[in-house]
Amino acid sequence: MIELALFLGTIICIYAIMALALNLQYGFSGLLNFGLVAFFAIGAYGSALLSLNGVPILVAIVLAVLISTLAGALIAIPTMKLSVHYWAIVTISIAELVRVVIQNEEWATGGTFGLGDIPQPLIGTVPPEWYPTSFFALTLVLLLVCFAICRSLVASPYGRVIKAIREDEDYAASLGKDVPAFKLRTMALGAGLTGLAGALYAHFTTYLNPAAFEPIVTFIIWAAVIMGGKGNLKGGILGAVVIVLLYNSTRFVGDYVDLSAQTIASIRLALIGFLITAIVVIRPNGIMPERKKVF
Amino acid sequence: MLEQILINTLIRGSEIASLAIGVTMLFSLLRFANFMHGELAALGAYFTYVFVAVFGLNVWVAAVLGAGLGGLVALGGDRVVFSRLRTSPGVVLLIASLGLSILYRAIIQGVWGVEGLTYSDEVEPIYFIGDAVITQTQIIICCVSFTAMAFFYALLNHTQLGRAMRAMSDNMDLAKARGIAVEKTIRWIWFIVGAYAALGGTLIAMDTQLTPEMGLHIILIVFAATILGGIGNVYGAVIGSFIIAFMENAVLTIDWGFLLVPFGMDGSLFLPSGYKFAVSFVALIVILIIMPKGIMRGSEGD
Repeated sequence: MIELALFLGTIICIYAIMALALNLQYGFSGLLNFGLVAFFAIGAYGSALLSLNGVPILVAIVLAVLISTLAGALIAIPTMKLSVHYWAIVTISIAELVRVVIQNEEWATGGTFGLGDIPQPLIGTVPPEWYPTSFFALTLVLLLVCFAICRSLVASPYGRVIKAIREDEDYAASLGKDVPAFKLRTMALGAGLTGLAGALYAHFTTYLNPAAFEPIVTFIIWAAVIMGGKGNLKGGILGAVVIVLLYNSTRFVGDYVDLSAQTIASIRLALIGFLITAIVVIRPNGIMPERKKVF
Repeated sequence: MLEQILINTLIRGSEIASLAIGVTMLFSLLRFANFMHGELAALGAYFTYVFVAVFGLNVWVAAVLGAGLGGLVALGGDRVVFSRLRTSPGVVLLIASLGLSILYRAIIQGVWGVEGLTYSDEVEPIYFIGDAVITQTQIIICCVSFTAMAFFYALLNHTQLGRAMRAMSDNMDLAKARGIAVEKTIRWIWFIVGAYAALGGTLIAMDTQLTPEMGLHIILIVFAATILGGIGNVYGAVIGSFIIAFMENAVLTIDWGFLLVPFGMDGSLFLPSGYKFAVSFVALIVILIIMPKGIMRGSEGD
């Protein structure tokens, strides 16, 4: 039981980091990033491949974060001026493209067979019976650090500009703000955070394959942010907790009701889709709506 | 070789076009990119499958019934979800349609499973045009799709409903002021684009097979076609569909070896077939970056 709690806790922290990233992009800047999973994959495979090739794990994680930040910026540069609808379409296409490349470039990524034996951090220094606990503690600390960074960012002048862009791009531009540059920074920052989540995921599970990077990962995070409250960092984290627990609780449905694994998988998927649509229609601001300052 | 590419383009293009006109209509009227369009197509294909496999109907009768049901699903989506979001920004509708697409895909997986299905296992007659091969089904696919497009053209240009649709996509406020029954027209449009999507899905499934992933695969291709044609422009969407279909078919058969020459290398270079459906993603990204307004004049989103 405690192992399961630690497993879920670690997964929740990893997803919550992505929820912070998406909240920064969608909640605060209005960027429709439907390709979140691309950066998750880049971070995961980046860190895994680097550490498998002898780079120390902590260095590999840092490098993976930098690589995904760079990837975010590179993708943002040519697409920053597109309207939100196109932006949504482009990002989801890029994510699928990344997955297809991972699937096909077997020499590097192991293709559909996957990539195994990914080394874990702190493995020699912590007693084995305490390992799950310390990995959970590590991800939790990183989540809190990310949260602190994001919170100070959205309260900073930068945060005010991205919120202005979300409300009205032309208005922000009329105040002399370089709108594409701010979008690019937000995109890169979010991509870096997502990459960190990916790297943690890789070292946590020690095995990666392309099936773990289907668009559903993006949609889970979307459901979390929309449910928790767009533009509210704590709300996004709360959303991640609720969604991951709901999503994983379907694992236990099989213990009580006689359903095939495939039916259960469909129910989980349906749950995510239903939540996204229902919340958008019924409670568009989520459980914890953004607290807007009124002057 | 070229003949085969052209024939495959014709088939693929006519499949894509029946979805692309719907996506572009919805964008010009309701100002959002409908992410559930691929899932409407997949649902339509599976409805047809039910009529064929369970009720034993002829596949073309089943296709028409499937299209009708697909239209009703789209209409239902509007009644339950989109009609409540009429005053919301397009982004909200887009996210809602994404949610619905996930829900529909889950339903497809849950009801029909993840294994690929086909309408019939019979070996069908094939015909040769020069060196190129075409099956009987593929010929009928093209005929059906072109007939459907002709109907759409007639609808758009020669009926009261079509005039209302064009007026609304041109200027919604003016159309309202002129006394056009906007809500009723929107409902009709949802039914029609849903039916066209379902028909397109059935055509795709006839040509290949039914899988739960077909919706996601096709929607990105359809978006590419729609954007290339100038989003909101129906004729552009049709032309865009054929261009994208040509790219899909040509890229894999072209020998890219000449690209190696400047690097002092020689030989032939073919794209691995695993990348087949990546072609349209790359095309999409390139189109958006180079000419985001498409080849024909379309409408602007918000």
